[in-house]
Amino acid sequence: MSMRSQVYEWSNLQANNNQLRRTTSDLPVAIVASREYDIFTGGLGNNITKPAETTATQFIVIEDVAASPLLGGAVQIRINTTDYFQNPDVTDMAGIPGLASPYPRGCNSTVDTTLITAAAIGSQNTLKSFDLYPDVYVLPGQTFQILYSARTATTATSTEIVSCFLKYTLYDGPDALIANKLLELGVTINPNNVDWYKRSLIEQQQRSRAVAGGQQ
Amino acid sequence: MEMKNMSMRSQVYEWDASRGTAMTVATSVGNRTSIFIGGVGNNITKPAETTATEFVVIEDIAMTPSLGTLSTIPSGVTVRGLLTGTTNDAAPADNGIAGPRGYVQVRINTTDYFLDPDNIPNDGIPGAASPYPRSINFQPSFNLYPDVYVLPGQVWDALVTFYSLAFAGATAAAGELMCFVKYTLYDGPDALIANKLLEMGISINPGNVDWYKRSLLQAQA
Repeated sequence: MSMRSQVYEWSNLQANNNQLRRTTSDLPVAIVASREYDIFTGGLGNNITKPAETTATQFIVIEDVAASPLLGGAVQIRINTTDYFQNPDVTDMAGIPGLASPYPRGCNSTVDTTLITAAAIGSQNTLKSFDLYPDVYVLPGQTFQILYSARTATTATSTEIVSCFLKYTLYDGPDALIANKLLELGVTINPNNVDWYKRSLIEQQQRSRAVAGGQQ
Repeated sequence: MEMKNMSMRSQVYEWDASRGTAMTVATSVGNRTSIFIGGVGNNITKPAETTATEFVVIEDIAMTPSLGTLSTIPSGVTVRGLLTGTTNDAAPADNGIAGPRGYVQVRINTTDYFLDPDNIPNDGIPGAASPYPRSINFQPSFNLYPDVYVLPGQVWDALVTFYSLAFAGATAAAGELMCFVKYTLYDGPDALIANKLLEMGISINPGNVDWYKRSLLQAQA
């Protein structure tokens, strides 16, 4: 399997700090305002064992990032040390707002923390205004981070649960080579174009064989 | 009834933890449960596998969604059709999650398909990202593309894990924990073509199988 669809979901739910796996004891933990939390190795919520990176034979295409629209949540992609989303004046920004790319899709953007009833959760359905296209490429040997931040801190007495979602395709082995070739050609890297490249190689071979057969 | 003339067939499987032997929530929480042979919910007679002349392409997988609310919301409150739950501790605490906080992983033979970026298998696709059933409140963020291939002779499974006790009773009730799989079964000559496409490194879908057939016909002409 040389092209694989992968997902990663993070939430501010944990039983302990620096927790690797989800557990049945997880409870919501507070988020500080305007602090960037690395969803992979930030130490809060569910984490992984090491920073996300590609090997020499891997190519990652990030196709979607989304975050809870609560509390002015936003999500930024960092490749090595460079933030992907920038202000028009090339200064830093928080990234894609959760209101533009909500997770889960159809969720509420507000909660009434003083009135703890089902109706207080919010009746509206937030849908996406943003589509990550063109996709974001993580080239072989690069490290990437997904940084979640909230403009407003979670409430001290009633912690809101926030989440972040990442969808990417991992190209490995020969397909990573083709992805590099497509990058060189300036063609968008997606499963369809990788297929197209393979098909065009095969058709080229078939034509060469037919010509060689005709000359004999 | 045997279907002899259909060599590409769209198939679905729906699992509900309440059907058949209803799932006991306390024993299943935090554990992986097979939707085919897990012993709870509706099951099939043997593990899902392909014969030597079959090829399966899994195109979609989804499960009951969840929604994060507030740490102070009590358990047992219905939020958008989902019950809020508690942890599974010795002293359970309200965890503020509506729905089962469920995930579904695809396993081929003994290999898990979905991995974290550090190459360690994870719980799989969150129900919040690929909800079943879909509704205005719960819409998909995830599309299983490229598809997952089950080659001839392989065994496959879909494994559900949930972490929240968001159930009305001790056993699962209808619709509280569900999973859905959509796949295409290629049989006979079309399974051979699927193998050929795999060998060529081309995505296996009805369009590409047709393309291969057309290219064979053109080569003959």
